[in-house]
Amino acid sequence: MIQLGGAAPKPRWSMRLTSAAAAAVLVVALLAVKLAQLQVTDGQQLASLAQSNSIHRVVLEADRGIIYDRHGVPLVENIPVWSMVVTPAGLAEDAIDRAQELATLARIAGVTEEKLVSQLLAADPYESVTIETDLSQADELVLNERLPQLPGVSIAQRSIRHYRDPFIFGHVLGYVGPVDPSQVERLRGLGYQPDEMVGKVGVEAGLEALLRGTNGWADVEVDARGQLRRVLAMQAPVPGDAVYLSLDAGLQKATAAALTAGLARYHHTAGASVVMDPRTGEVLALVSIPGYDTNLFTRGISHADYSRLLKDPDKPLLNRAIAGQYAPGSTFKMVTATAGLQEGKITAQTLLSCPAYINVSGWIYHNWASYSLGQMNVARALATSCDTFFYQVASMVGDVTLARYARAYGFGQAKGIEMPGVMAGLVPDRIWKQLNCGVPDLNSDACRWSEGDTITFGIGQSYLLTTPLNQAVYVAALANGGNVMRPTLVQAVADASGHVVEKQRTEVTSTVPASADNIQAVREGMREEINPPYHMNYWFRVSGVPADGGGKTGTAQWGGSGLDLPTHAWFVFFAPYAQPEIALSVFVERGELSEVQAAPIGIDITKFYREHASSIRSR
Amino acid sequence: MIARVDRLQTLIVAMLAALGVMTVFSARADWPRQVAWVLAGAILYAAATVFDYRRLRTVAPALYGAMLLMLVAVHLVGHTALGARRWLAVAGFPLEPSELSKLVLVVVLAAYLARSERISWRAFGGALGLVAAPAALVLAQPDLGTTLVMCAVAFGMLFLGGGRPAQLGSVITAGIVAVPLLPLLLHGYQLRRLQIFLDPNQDPLGAGYNLLQARIAVGSGGFFGRGWLHGLQGQLGFVPERATDFVFATFAEEFGLLGSLVLLSLFGTLLIRTLRSAGVASDRFGELIAGGVFVMVFAQVVENVGMNIGVLPIAGLPLPLISYGGSATITTLTALGLVQSVMVRQRAVTHAQRPISPLGTITRRAET
Repeated sequence: MIQLGGAAPKPRWSMRLTSAAAAAVLVVALLAVKLAQLQVTDGQQLASLAQSNSIHRVVLEADRGIIYDRHGVPLVENIPVWSMVVTPAGLAEDAIDRAQELATLARIAGVTEEKLVSQLLAADPYESVTIETDLSQADELVLNERLPQLPGVSIAQRSIRHYRDPFIFGHVLGYVGPVDPSQVERLRGLGYQPDEMVGKVGVEAGLEALLRGTNGWADVEVDARGQLRRVLAMQAPVPGDAVYLSLDAGLQKATAAALTAGLARYHHTAGASVVMDPRTGEVLALVSIPGYDTNLFTRGISHADYSRLLKDPDKPLLNRAIAGQYAPGSTFKMVTATAGLQEGKITAQTLLSCPAYINVSGWIYHNWASYSLGQMNVARALATSCDTFFYQVASMVGDVTLARYARAYGFGQAKGIEMPGVMAGLVPDRIWKQLNCGVPDLNSDACRWSEGDTITFGIGQSYLLTTPLNQAVYVAALANGGNVMRPTLVQAVADASGHVVEKQRTEVTSTVPASADNIQAVREGMREEINPPYHMNYWFRVSGVPADGGGKTGTAQWGGSGLDLPTHAWFVFFAPYAQPEIALSVFVERGELSEVQAAPIGIDITKFYREHASSIRSR
Repeated sequence: MIARVDRLQTLIVAMLAALGVMTVFSARADWPRQVAWVLAGAILYAAATVFDYRRLRTVAPALYGAMLLMLVAVHLVGHTALGARRWLAVAGFPLEPSELSKLVLVVVLAAYLARSERISWRAFGGALGLVAAPAALVLAQPDLGTTLVMCAVAFGMLFLGGGRPAQLGSVITAGIVAVPLLPLLLHGYQLRRLQIFLDPNQDPLGAGYNLLQARIAVGSGGFFGRGWLHGLQGQLGFVPERATDFVFATFAEEFGLLGSLVLLSLFGTLLIRTLRSAGVASDRFGELIAGGVFVMVFAQVVENVGMNIGVLPIAGLPLPLISYGGSATITTLTALGLVQSVMVRQRAVTHAQRPISPLGTITRRAET
């Protein structure tokens, strides 16, 4: 059968065979042409697509700087949390497997499958998507165990802020939260990631630039499953600076405790206190009550929690210490006294009457007492807080001069402290009133400054507004003899290696334009107020605190004009009298009797300070 | 005998198999296994060369029956992988009957069509019937790719076997008519693949991913390629099924346009040589076998390369001799061995000893 030997036959290329061969050549040639187009013409573009498939720039988030108190007690820490990261393109290839995988992921992450899928669809399929920023430790273990069966899924660890004692330190430290959508564009220019945490309020916001550190990056090659293959290049992140506050954690806690207890005694729910060193302007304690759990924000606060905080009638989100603006009431009388003395309207010995009321162009202005307290000098007027005495002094000085002295003591100025949201308060005068009277005709009676405005200005009412921080700066100036200090919260800043890179400098922002004698005369009034025969001394004796210092209470009316207006209670104080070490303000929202409701709080704080002064002072 | 072996074909087959093993190695598939299959295939290739293909004519009905049995068995006891029931365990080895059935169909159709010189309408109907049964079973697995190859083999062999223009035209017409029915015939994912092919952006995460990634891999190869074992896409696993269905993408990325053109030239030459073997066959049966093997290889190369570069919809098919896979490698090598068998038993130079040519045109030329 097999033909052996002989020449091979010439193949017969029939029409059909020839056309089949032609078809084969043609089709293969077409494939070659298409291939050439793909590999040469589109090659460059597809090669870069391949590159971006596999080479990613990963941002290495810098550790945020820790915030300490003045002795190095950490007030916040960075704790690790785990999140699920999914690379959509790396998910199971088969549709059924993929559906199953997505169901598993949704279950572990605790989100609905629809939400998960929509999140993945919105993302670049080759980029990793963070699904759940807060896996529990148990979830993390479950996920880790299943990882081999979950292609395209990995676990990422990141740090999250955890605030210690948020209700006590919260208003000082503030909190970090996810970048606001409206801020994304601006912050991206500064190198922020869309999912990065940024300081929102308090020191976290005020010192954002220092605390944040510098993010690093790494160019990594990942495979289709999103798994890291190798690192091509990297720049290590630089951790944020450590910030040492001037705050004393113990004093802060004692201040919060004293304030909380003091408020609770008379069923008040809101108040604030600022304690500072009158020699340096260092804030030793700054408390606003109620506080709130700042840790709620670090993972993105829930809508329910946020609206609860917003709807709370006590406004826990309001930092009253820096942003609560209230009339100072009688605590303002030292300004009026300083102005009267320095402007030569009175001397330390000038005696004025203290009637039950005075009559100013037909209007009656009452003293707190319904009887005359007799003739008195300025020190006694301060100690007894005689309103009618200061009506007369204010009238003599005039509103413009009074406003000038008020500003000299720091009223009406937002303090340059290391956190945003500081309010200025308000020092009114006739121009201000004309511009802000709220009627179109600026020359109408409602817009005209009246003598009544001037004399109530003299006792810290009228349109005057201040904040607990301003009050502390003011009383510190009285304590130190007239220097208005720049209040500071930060003592030092150290870089990641512990090297101190910045130390706080004491700064006198302005000096009260009054002679030492005149200021001394005012201080004398404050000293008398807390000593016998005056009532306030009782609270010092009860607390066992020496009445060595100067204080002034104030019960400020608010909410309009009239006789039975609601009030706020104030107490400002410095101690010791000769060489003051602390100056403080206490504010009790809706307090009725400052001597009973506000002063004891300040005395409790002073008591703690006196008992712990050496440790608070130690470095 | 050795003198009549198409040595160029053997050389090309060896080169393709070597490239295949290299690519499979680079794609991180089980390359020693692929080597074993190539060796087993080589033995079958040699055996088929020695074996007198004409003896297949008598066993063709039995082969056909065995093929149908295996395809039915797949449905009953087959293993499921990637959503399709395609594998049978034979002596511990996974066997893919649909791969073998391609070659069996070539032999069966060759035997059937060789019975007469001309293809009557009755024989035409019979041939379609022979194809319909295995094609339906394979489509139901579901394996769209193999079904298409079977249809191509049937059409190609009818063409080479001298089918009348009206017959060929009716097949084409039937195909065109069937297109609107596709949504009814195709499995969900097959239909989806077709839709994705028409618009790859529809689903970049799912089915379109394969297509997109294969295109990216091919394209990023550029002119010279990234070099063997240096394909970014293939090595990092972005190319799906990178050792089987999308092996060409892996190859093209690493060897570039230059390598791809070499590969296509090798396939082109192999195809022409196969047709040439048909041209020297001593009988109509041998001619049809060689022609059928031509169509079988041609269809798979075109579909596989075509889907890898995004000009044809995705239908899972191996690239002959390159893709990882035992059944496919062995089937292809055996088929090409059979072509050598036809070659070895080519007709004598003397016209007297030549049997009457099965093809009309050749007959005419012989008569002049």
